[in-house]
Amino acid sequence: MQDNLNDNNSDRVKEILDVIMSYARFDFSKKTVVRGNDTLDAIGAGVNMLGEELESSTVSLKEKEQLLKEIHHRVKNNLQIVSSLLNLQSENILDKRYLDLIIESRNRINSMALVHEMLYSSKDLSKIEMGEYVQRLSIGIQSSLLKNDANIKFHYNLQHDLYFDIDHMIPLGLILNEIISNSYKYAFPENTGRIDIEMSKTDKHYLLVVKDNGIGLKPNFDVKRDSNLGMQLIYMLTEQLDGKVGLDSVLGVAYEITFPL
Amino acid sequence: MNQLIPPPHAVELSLFWTWMGDDGICRTKAKPLAEITLKEAMENSLAVTNMFKDKKFPLLVDARSVKSMEKEARKYFSTNGRATRINSMAIMVKSPLSRVIGNFFMGLNKPLIPARLFDDENMAVEWLKKQVQ
Repeated sequence: MQDNLNDNNSDRVKEILDVIMSYARFDFSKKTVVRGNDTLDAIGAGVNMLGEELESSTVSLKEKEQLLKEIHHRVKNNLQIVSSLLNLQSENILDKRYLDLIIESRNRINSMALVHEMLYSSKDLSKIEMGEYVQRLSIGIQSSLLKNDANIKFHYNLQHDLYFDIDHMIPLGLILNEIISNSYKYAFPENTGRIDIEMSKTDKHYLLVVKDNGIGLKPNFDVKRDSNLGMQLIYMLTEQLDGKVGLDSVLGVAYEITFPL
Repeated sequence: MNQLIPPPHAVELSLFWTWMGDDGICRTKAKPLAEITLKEAMENSLAVTNMFKDKKFPLLVDARSVKSMEKEARKYFSTNGRATRINSMAIMVKSPLSRVIGNFFMGLNKPLIPARLFDDENMAVEWLKKQVQ
């Protein structure tokens, strides 16, 4: 009689554990059977109710993820529409100065659209990998600014597994866009050269280095006096990251952007 | 005596009896092994609401024989997001099963009105009287 009771309780405990394991796998189709009014029935009923609450939270979390994905998708689509409109507008412009302004604006928009595109494709929807972003962004800028018979190569030295959220990626993307665009526009009159992009992390800071081997800045270049909108943006956006800009023009132009972890 | 016995004038529902006591405390008692879904929760709440005359009243719930209460029913009983005529709720529990259900209801669904679990009817009634005062 006692053995039968023990066997029965052992089966019931196993049944409850099976249900708990199903919930751990996010399978909420199972429930424990509550037969009477004893302690095991109470535990079983508690597990059932926990499963109901967990299922409801999981569904709600999935819905929120889907919504966030949808928002990033829509933002990216809207930014691409603006970019396409600028593209269409540029077809009617003959003045090179205005045309350049439109291309610059379009590339800034594209650098932000890429952040949203990569966010909705990412696993956790909150962070994107810097290395992939840098390479995709630089290829985009290259195809937008490439001159005929140009031979400008990118070299990357990017630490793996550097992930940033949207608050960091938007300014970082814009900073990269400005530096690379400036190199394309001013560094290589012979249309030949090299742009190095490095990113690493120390204990306290991130370090982004972008340098070209072009003609460098003009002698006595003064940032406050001589900088264009692109360079002003680099300083403003670095400030937004609580970072600092180092500018060097010994061999070409080299930017060192440091910002805290 | 810790036995809540429905009087003849009690309203009998599919899983509950509900009636108004002479002391102004409404009582509702679950039937043995009641498996309460949203439908029965709404039916019960309507019966309780129908006891309203001119002022809000306390409610004594005998949940000692409840077998299960689904999530939507717990949420509905918590009075969150709906108008209610009751101003406090005492829930009587006894068996391990009814204690788990009661504690789950109190812990996760957090009723908007003052609510407590009891295993003694007299103490529950005393507490409800204080809530009225």
